[in-house]
Amino acid sequence: MTTITILGDEVATATGEWADGRPLIEPDALSAAVGWTLKPEGLCRGDQCVLVGDGSAIRVGDKLDLAAVANAVDQPTVIDPDASVVVLGQPNATRQAALRDRQAPDFTLADLDGAERSLSDYAGKKRLLVAFSSW
Amino acid sequence: MADDGFMVIAVAIDEAVDEVRVLADGITYPVLMDPNHILTETYAISNVPAVVWIDEQGRIARPNANEFGSDMFSEFTGRTCQGHFDQIRAWVHDDVVPDDADSEIADLDEDEIAARLHFRLAAHLRRAGNEEGAVRHFDAAAELAPLDFTVVRAAMPLRGESPFGEEFFKLLEEYQAAGSPFHGITPA
Repeated sequence: MTTITILGDEVATATGEWADGRPLIEPDALSAAVGWTLKPEGLCRGDQCVLVGDGSAIRVGDKLDLAAVANAVDQPTVIDPDASVVVLGQPNATRQAALRDRQAPDFTLADLDGAERSLSDYAGKKRLLVAFSSW
Repeated sequence: MADDGFMVIAVAIDEAVDEVRVLADGITYPVLMDPNHILTETYAISNVPAVVWIDEQGRIARPNANEFGSDMFSEFTGRTCQGHFDQIRAWVHDDVVPDDADSEIADLDEDEIAARLHFRLAAHLRRAGNEEGAVRHFDAAAELAPLDFTVVRAAMPLRGESPFGEEFFKLLEEYQAAGSPFHGITPA
């Protein structure tokens, strides 16, 4: 068993193992690792559930394949078995809703004093979002 | 215009908090740090500055556009910021949006998405002291999205290169030779 780091919205860790380059974790650890929970009806987060059939696509023995879970919920991944890290990208549907349906994706980030702020904190105002950098 | 139900939210696609603090000196609106480049993924941002107009209901009133907040780079871009300021004023006061507001922005392709995740992994490994792993993933990111400034140029200071040096001008030349591919509106 080893520690697998998951870079998603937050940095999370889960106890698991790598098998043939696949990141495997205990089903109980899934929710804390990726925000989705495996239930009889599928992979669920909030009031949203994604069907996974009999679960054979995401199960390896008594463990879950994190990359297959991400694939099932349409979140991209990059995995690095050597560093024991899984990068879990944002749901593709979020960006597609922005580009196609003009729904501004919400986000929560720290300000310069470390306080977390969200786009939705300022709902009800017209907002000019400015992405900039020092580079 | 702050009293008119309008505000600016600035997000630094950056992890250099001290340098961002210098840029943000005197600014009273929120300045947020996005060291993991989440917004480059969810908003399909490929270069900065990029501005997005978001209305009261959280809908995008005008998608990603390459607009500047000052005329510092006017000589370079051939544009001034006054036009954009006038457009924002018309939007805030009269709900008028410019003709380019319904422009379609191309989605990221799989390589561009993977490049963002490799960048995030590289930045994480670098912060964790794994320089070799960081270089490997910065390289993978640059190979997948060689003309994306949030991938290639953003990595320069993290790889010990100057984002205003030789590598930048090489990137700029390749970018322009490719027709300046940008996920967003590039105003005339």
